[in-house]
Amino acid sequence: MRAFVTVGSTKFDALIQKVFSQEVLEALQKQGYTEVIVQCGNSSFEEQRGAADGEHPVIVQRGGLVVEYWKFKPTLEEEYERADLVISHAGSGTILDVLRMGKPLIVVPNPTLLHNHQQELADVLAEQNYIKSSSVDDLSTTIEEFGGSTLLNRFPRFDGTRFAKILDETMGFA
Amino acid sequence: MLVTFAVTVVIVGCLFSYRVYAILPSRGRNRNLTKRSPDSTCSLAVFLGSGGHTSEALAMLSGINAQRYKPRQYFVSEGDSLSVKKVQVLERSFEDGSPNSPAYRVVTIPRARRVHQPLWTTPLTAMVSLCSCIYYMTIEPLANHNSGEKKFPDVLVLNGPGTCLMLCIAAYFNKFFGLPAPTIIYVESFARVKALSLSGKLIRPLVDRFIVQWPELVRRHPGSECYGTVV
Repeated sequence: MRAFVTVGSTKFDALIQKVFSQEVLEALQKQGYTEVIVQCGNSSFEEQRGAADGEHPVIVQRGGLVVEYWKFKPTLEEEYERADLVISHAGSGTILDVLRMGKPLIVVPNPTLLHNHQQELADVLAEQNYIKSSSVDDLSTTIEEFGGSTLLNRFPRFDGTRFAKILDETMGFA
Repeated sequence: MLVTFAVTVVIVGCLFSYRVYAILPSRGRNRNLTKRSPDSTCSLAVFLGSGGHTSEALAMLSGINAQRYKPRQYFVSEGDSLSVKKVQVLERSFEDGSPNSPAYRVVTIPRARRVHQPLWTTPLTAMVSLCSCIYYMTIEPLANHNSGEKKFPDVLVLNGPGTCLMLCIAAYFNKFFGLPAPTIIYVESFARVKALSLSGKLIRPLVDRFIVQWPELVRRHPGSECYGTVV
C-alpha cells in the first residue's frame, strides 16, 4: 500500500519533519503501508538536501518502508490516483481534487498561517465526515485510528449545472 | 469666489453620490430580470485571479452553455501564463467542430497589488490596473460600437483576488455614464467557510449576485446566496 503526502505549492516544515519521524513511519507500517511518497515543496527538513523535481526523486529506506521524496510535479493527479491514503495540507484545491477521486484523506492545517481560514475548511469537512483532520502532533495517532478506512462519506461529484443555472437565471434564460 | 467654489463642490459631490447610489444593484426580490429568448447570445467576461482562483472560475465555466455565452473574454493578470494555458484547455472542450473564428480572447491586465508589495504603493498600482480595465471595459467597446465587433460584455464573473475589484469599478464607470454595463456575479471561494475574503467584503455591495459556497456565510451576510459547492 502507498501513502502520498503533499504540501502543494507552499512550505510546511512541521508536517514534512513529522512524516519523516519514526513514530509516523511506524504508524504507517502498522497499517500495512510499504511506500510513502512525499511531495515536500519548499519545506525545510533534515533530508531535504538533494530534493529536486518529480522526475528526479530521492528514494531512501526507512525501517521497512520505501520513502520517495521530491519537490514538485506539474500535476499530482496521477499520484492521488495511485495512493491508498493521502495526507495533505489544508489547501482547498488539493482537498477538492483528492475528495473527488474518492481517496481517503487526512488534512493537516498549517497552524503558522496567519488568518487561518484553512483550519475552518478542515473543521467543517471533518464535521461532515468527508475527511479526517489532524494536528501535526497527533498525526501518528490519527493514522492508526483511521488507517485509510472507507468509513468516510463520499464527497459529491462536481456538478457543472449549478453555476450554469445561476448564470442562466441571472441573464434571463431560466 | 471661495463660497462659489465650495457650493459647486458640494453640489457636484451630491450629484455624484446620488448617481452612484442610483446605479447600485438592488438584490433579492426587487431584482430586475430581463427575459431573453433561449437562442439569443450573451457576451461573457471573467477574471482569472491565478492559482486557486483560476481553478475555481474555470470549473464554474466548464458547465455553461458555450453556444449561448459568447464571445468570451478572459482577463488574466500580467505574467500568469498558467491561467492562459488552462483557458486553452477549457476552450478546446467547448469546440464543436465548426470552423468559426475562436469565440474567445485572453486579455492581460496589470495587477492591482503584487504579492508582498508594500501597502503604500498600492493606490498607484491599483490606478494603473484600473485604467487598463477601463480601457477594455469601456473605451475599446465604445470605439468598436458601430462595427458590431467586441461589444460590451453582458455578464462579468468574478471570484477574487483584489484585481477583480478593478474590473468591477470599471463596470461601474460604464453604469455611471449610462453606457451598456455587465451584470456582475461574484462567487466567494470554496475555502471561505465562516468569514469572507477581503475582496469579497469590499465587492459585496457592488455586485448583482453574491454567491457563497457555505451556508454559514449566508447567515452572517444577508443578501448573499448559497447553492452548495459550485466548483
